[in-house]
Amino acid sequence: MPAASALSVLIVDDQLTIRSLVRNGLQQIGVTNTREAGDGEEAVAALVARPAHLVITDFNMPKLDGLGLLRAIRSYEPIKNTAVIMLTGRADPELVQRAAQYGVNNYLVKPFTVATLREKIEEVFGALT
Amino acid sequence: MDELEEIKITFFQECDELLGDLESGLLSIDAGDTEPELVNAVFRAVHSVKGGAGAFGLEALVRFAHVFETLLDNIRGGKTALRPDLVKLLLRAADVLADHVAAAKLGGEGDAASTTAMVEELETWISGGPAPSPPALPADLQPNEDGIVFKPVTLTLPEVDEGPREEVWTITFQPMDELYAKANEAGLLIREIERLGKIDVELLDDALPIFDNLDPETAHFAWKVRLRTDVPEEKIREVFEFVEGHCSTTIVREASPPVLVEADAGPDIAAIIAAAQAANMEAEPAFTPLKVDVAAVESQPPVALAPAAPVAQVAQPTSPRSPQPPQGEKVNQATIRVDPERIDKLIDLVGELVINQAMLAQRVAGHGFAASSDVGRGLDELEQLTRDIQDSVMAIRAQPVKSVFQRMPRLVREIAGQTGKQVRLVTDGENTEVDKTVIERISEPITHMLRNAIDHGLETPEERVAAGKPTEGTVRLAALHRGGRIVIEVGDDGKGINRPRVRQIAIDRGLIAADAQLTDEEVDNLIFLPGFSTASTVSDISGRGVGMDVVRKSVQGLGGRISISSRPGFGSTFTLSLPLTLAVLDGMVIDVAGQTLVVPLTAIVESLRPAAAEVKKLGAQGGVLAVRDAYVPLVDIGRVLGFQTTEIDPAEGVVLLVDSEVGGRAALVADSIHGQRQVVIKSLESNYQQVPGIAAATILGDGRVALILDVDALVAMRKREPLRMPEPSIQAAE
Repeated sequence: MPAASALSVLIVDDQLTIRSLVRNGLQQIGVTNTREAGDGEEAVAALVARPAHLVITDFNMPKLDGLGLLRAIRSYEPIKNTAVIMLTGRADPELVQRAAQYGVNNYLVKPFTVATLREKIEEVFGALT
Repeated sequence: MDELEEIKITFFQECDELLGDLESGLLSIDAGDTEPELVNAVFRAVHSVKGGAGAFGLEALVRFAHVFETLLDNIRGGKTALRPDLVKLLLRAADVLADHVAAAKLGGEGDAASTTAMVEELETWISGGPAPSPPALPADLQPNEDGIVFKPVTLTLPEVDEGPREEVWTITFQPMDELYAKANEAGLLIREIERLGKIDVELLDDALPIFDNLDPETAHFAWKVRLRTDVPEEKIREVFEFVEGHCSTTIVREASPPVLVEADAGPDIAAIIAAAQAANMEAEPAFTPLKVDVAAVESQPPVALAPAAPVAQVAQPTSPRSPQPPQGEKVNQATIRVDPERIDKLIDLVGELVINQAMLAQRVAGHGFAASSDVGRGLDELEQLTRDIQDSVMAIRAQPVKSVFQRMPRLVREIAGQTGKQVRLVTDGENTEVDKTVIERISEPITHMLRNAIDHGLETPEERVAAGKPTEGTVRLAALHRGGRIVIEVGDDGKGINRPRVRQIAIDRGLIAADAQLTDEEVDNLIFLPGFSTASTVSDISGRGVGMDVVRKSVQGLGGRISISSRPGFGSTFTLSLPLTLAVLDGMVIDVAGQTLVVPLTAIVESLRPAAAEVKKLGAQGGVLAVRDAYVPLVDIGRVLGFQTTEIDPAEGVVLLVDSEVGGRAALVADSIHGQRQVVIKSLESNYQQVPGIAAATILGDGRVALILDVDALVAMRKREPLRMPEPSIQAAE
């Protein structure tokens, strides 16, 4: 049972609004250790510089999109076991399927509630305390 | 070759429909519908795909469709009983078929591995059915509320070496006398702090009095400690736990430096990303899930799921078409087919919106809002938006003229054969788009113009040789957009109009006076007069009672104009100008004898208020207007249409200079001009009956019905005025 406060999360989205919403949602469930990146490339650099437990990333982003980020994480040894939750604009089975192929841990459909956010994280890590 | 490609496109469009039928049929069966016709429909869909694919040599598709079809045929014939698991298999087979179609569309073949696997499964059923039904989906692989079958991949929280998550704290620490009295020491506390991280200590000695006043029992010093540490704030506070109340302490976190991207991050980020993109992760994901319970799933016999992905099980319960085109391949632009009635309805509604918007604007203006007011500006935006919507909606219904042009080569071949002439057809601008309603109606005039061009325009090969031209004549059919209209040109390189002969025929038939003075242009235009035919022998082609007058009439019916330009010995060109749509029209709203009328803007050259001296009376009725160097016949709209018997004095009213196809330029006389407006065309014929001089009707902003003038007819009618209207007032009609 991981403590929410112990969880370090990297939020990746090109939209500040979404990043803020995710950050705010995480704070509400006790996850305060968050960092942010504006696209996949920034995210990879941020993870390489300092790993995180969980990456919550959007799919559509400039430079390197969510799937690209996912692939980069999974193929680079030092960070390959980072949990990844993909944010999607709609419940697109094809997209989720592709993400699953690359080893996504979970997905989250926008717009989401704090309860769903918590649920999705707990589905990966177990109940948060 | 081109034609074949076209048909192939049609085939794939049909395939999409067939695959849709196939899937919906199977889904209905899956849902428990036992109607035998469903199986038939499903069979037919696959059969049709196979048939079409065969025609195009799409062998992989044919082979797969054949196996699929065989099983369906068995089911249809009762040889194989339908079972839920079989239906699931059929649904998956439908997916494979869809993948094959999608691949064939891109010129490739479906995935061989999945095809082979599917063919094997299908053949198991064909040869007597497989083992007992496989179990249903595991409970945790049922579609979730998003309709996606997805099993989250659990992860035990790894010990992430986060590295020093350093923060900088500023601790201000001022001991009170009591602290020392209790035998505590500032230095020890600072040393405690030092154990938490790196520190910078600054002594604040501002409070130290001069030596004479120094009380050794009193605390005078304070310290400011900058601590760089990764411990939480509580740990820092703990240091001061034992001296609480004996010192004043503030602990402030400095704004943490941004650590988002560290510039000196060792590994090459770009290289990591590039390596990841290059890796074929579908084949073998580099990621080994830490705690995924897929073993249980994988041991299940295949169910209605995509081949088991190593990490998570994902499948789509419905509409699972996901053809993945080869990378780098240009993906064809997707098209949707929509029932034209829906679009027509949309266009009608937008028409109503335009009217409503106009009404609103009129009412707001009536309440004295200035154009610059908030309301006025809002209305402006609304109008702009309405126009944009209208354009967009019209664009949906727009179609390239290609569909019409395509039919013409065959026609040209036929006419050439009948007339013994050698003709080459050149087309241009086939992709010019125009509203569907116009497309449907331009085919006939184009056909006539082409017939005319070949039959009358082009010479026989012998004549051409004699004239020093190649034996093969050229007919050019072109479409282009010009000034918000579509222009269709039909040109030939034939002999051109034989003006003396045209003139003679017109005189012979009493169409013009023997001594009429006509310009070349006017002579050319005589061929549009009713009953005129220059062919000395009434041929099969041109002489079917369809002269150019009929062509002109049908063009005018479309709100179009037709004109001809000709150079003897070099050929003639007919130019057809049509509105892009038959739904709306830009018009000038005018008042005539208490009636509000709309003049199509395309006809208007200019509007002016003539001086009395410029108006010349000719006889009791009629007259001309001097416009610059020319005299233009005056057309009193009110009189011609029978609204009133007295004429408006042009000098009192307003004159609209119009271009008409028949009488050249004319000056329409009206009482006043309201302004320019876009109006929605309402057909008079379909709502009432045809009225000479009137093209259509519309509804104005204030809800009144206004008639749209047919300028050409009006000008032509001038000579025969006054005209008897079928009813004194059109507005009274429904």
